[in-house]
Amino acid sequence: MDTSDGAYALELEGVTKTFGDHVAVDALDLRIPSGSLYGFLGPNGAGKTTTIRMIMSIIFPDEGRLSVLGHPRAEEIKDRLGYLPEEKGLYKKMKTGELIAYFGRLKGLDKRAARARARQLLDEYGLGEWHDQRCETLSKGMGQKVQILSALVHEPELVILDEPFSGLDPVNVELMRDLILDLKREGRTVIFSTHVMEQAEQICEYIFLINKGKKVLDGPIGEIKAGAGRSVKLEYEGDGRVLPATPGIARVHDAGMQAEVFLEDEADPQEVLKALVDKIRIRRWDISEPSLFEIFIRAVEGEDL
Amino acid sequence: MKKIRLVALREFFENMRTKTFWIGILFFPVVLILSIVIPKLLQDHKDARLYAVLDRSGWLLEAVEERAAFPDMEKLLRVIRDRLRDGSAMKGLPPGLEGQAEAIRDMSDEEISRAASTLTMLHASPEGQKILDDLPEEVAEMVKKSGEQLRRWYSGLSAKEARKFSRSLSRSLYERVDIAPGDETDPEAPFREALNEGRIFAYIVVGKDPIETSQGNKYVSNNLTDDALRNWFARFASEVVREKRIEREGIDEEVIRRIQTPVVFKAVQLTETGEETKVESVDKAMQFIPIAFVYLLWIAIFMISQMLLTNTIEEKSNRTIEVLLSSVSPTELMAGKIVGIALTGLTVVLCWVMFFVLTIKAAPAMNLEPPFDLTPLITYPKYLVSFVVYFLLGYLLYASLLVGIGSVCNSLKEAQNLMMPVSVMLMIPLFTMFPIVQDPNGALARVMTFIPLTTPFAMMNRAAADIPTWEYLVSGVLLLATIALFVWAAGKIFRVGILMTGKPPKLKEIIRWVLSA
Repeated sequence: MDTSDGAYALELEGVTKTFGDHVAVDALDLRIPSGSLYGFLGPNGAGKTTTIRMIMSIIFPDEGRLSVLGHPRAEEIKDRLGYLPEEKGLYKKMKTGELIAYFGRLKGLDKRAARARARQLLDEYGLGEWHDQRCETLSKGMGQKVQILSALVHEPELVILDEPFSGLDPVNVELMRDLILDLKREGRTVIFSTHVMEQAEQICEYIFLINKGKKVLDGPIGEIKAGAGRSVKLEYEGDGRVLPATPGIARVHDAGMQAEVFLEDEADPQEVLKALVDKIRIRRWDISEPSLFEIFIRAVEGEDL
Repeated sequence: MKKIRLVALREFFENMRTKTFWIGILFFPVVLILSIVIPKLLQDHKDARLYAVLDRSGWLLEAVEERAAFPDMEKLLRVIRDRLRDGSAMKGLPPGLEGQAEAIRDMSDEEISRAASTLTMLHASPEGQKILDDLPEEVAEMVKKSGEQLRRWYSGLSAKEARKFSRSLSRSLYERVDIAPGDETDPEAPFREALNEGRIFAYIVVGKDPIETSQGNKYVSNNLTDDALRNWFARFASEVVREKRIEREGIDEEVIRRIQTPVVFKAVQLTETGEETKVESVDKAMQFIPIAFVYLLWIAIFMISQMLLTNTIEEKSNRTIEVLLSSVSPTELMAGKIVGIALTGLTVVLCWVMFFVLTIKAAPAMNLEPPFDLTPLITYPKYLVSFVVYFLLGYLLYASLLVGIGSVCNSLKEAQNLMMPVSVMLMIPLFTMFPIVQDPNGALARVMTFIPLTTPFAMMNRAAADIPTWEYLVSGVLLLATIALFVWAAGKIFRVGILMTGKPPKLKEIIRWVLSA
């Protein structure tokens, strides 16, 4: 892809946005390398969508500096960006092919190219037979697919997807994931946001964690996990209340039949296991890196949640 | 610009797929056709009223019929003349007029009146002779040659035949049936019988001496709500009897007529150069046509700007707005929407105008009589041009208001609250429609002309009058300036409002948005 914009597809410096008294995004710094797949994580209301809207020049920061593909304002290079907003809507009366072609033309494609590309995309993603159907006839999953296709029709360099997985069934989540990986393989920079950590964990190279408008964590996922200590995933039968009481265990996320257990730094997993087997029945004992969820919980622990 | 065009075209084609669009296009033609066809159907199906007269005076009926023939004859001659002039198909001239086409074609309205009077109520009198002497030679010749024949033809004319000439002839409406009176003890018996059997609609009994007293005069019918026949007969009977009464007092017939001649004021209009022009009846009808146009204009502007409002709110609530804003700027989006819906509205309005022109051209061929003579609308394109121009300007004005409102609302219900002041504003032209048409250059009309929100309606309303050019210019400049201001403010509001969710902002906040930056 175009490398003249430098190593970073996106740079934010001290970006701040307030709505009334509420600080939605607070002095945010962020650098996203070109060609990376970057996950924006955070609970609902953390400031993900506000950040994305500022990147897209839909709203403007009160303070700070933005650089999108080397330009201070995305407005100038809208045609090189692809955007799937959080709240997804389609023109119900338009045919899917027309809709995708329309967005292509708004992004600067000529009529013929936009039409050809719309047909090609629909065929490629298994919606070929819906080309002449009105959008109102699509199921939710299909609608979402059509919408993401209309964000990709002009082959953007930087793709920003706000909650692309929300509302999709497992099959469609799978499809969406493949699509995102395809984009990455084609060399595009992809940013997507989600509040479901597992999804990001599966595919992201980099993550960016935000809470209450402030950056919590940022960097390659491997590094983040490596610095986060050990955890044990276990499956058990019996009374889970014994877990926190066991010596050597720092904290527990207990789901009833499964739990994620965090060991104190000097504890020996072997000893802990020994102490547990008398009290509950252990079916699985799996020492691994902590989950993103745990990392997130730990990172925000110091702050008032 | 390219993006504005794309947005506009999409808007246009999408609107063409909505029901509102087609209902809008069909609305006017349907109303127009109904307003022409329904009265025609009603009249065609309303049979001529059959009536009978028991004339115990022995002379009144004849006198009334002679007199009633005059307006009919006048109208007949006029219809025949107009058809001859149009060159439209003349389904058989009445007998006696076959060779007279030339003479009739050149007659003026006044000559027709005079000829008709000598042909009917004055045909045997010395006065009629005098009128005849004053008439141009061919006309006098025609009357002398064909008079007798024409009179006989008219007296035998059936209502059905009469309708082929005009539906408004009294002969088309009322047809007398001869019924022989019964014996001396109960002469009314056969009349009653006919009425009860439904053979006649009504019968009239004229007393023995109508000059002395109205006693014995009677109008008998089972339907007393339809008064037209009674009034019609009574009017001519009164005229005849009044003359007889005066005559009985020994006053000369000539004097009577002179006394009875009504005072007439000719309607005259001054042109700008001070020349006097006669106001034809057509012009009078034309003065009321602006009302129809104001109403149409109002409906068109209201319907189309409402479409914009609904459409904006829909786009906002179904959340397509954000994807759009990642491709186009809010200003481009708003401009595109306004232009796209203007195209939609213009299509509707031009369809109306085309249909209108076609109907007017086709009406005579289809033997339809519209309630007004509408042909001048084509010959004086001022109406149609004003209509299209003021539609566009009025639309832009109200569209920019509504698009601003639409952008801050999340549902139509919220929008209705904010719409209130605009709706009230829009009602004003409806209330002032009639006063303005009666006094198109009066104070009210002028004031409304210079209030930009009502300029389009007021100017359409005044279209029949001669409006000074400076008024066109000044009100036009004011209107354009207001449109520019509104569009600019709407752009500001749109930019902020379109992404807002939650409660619509207070007016104060909106004003702050407009004034900031």
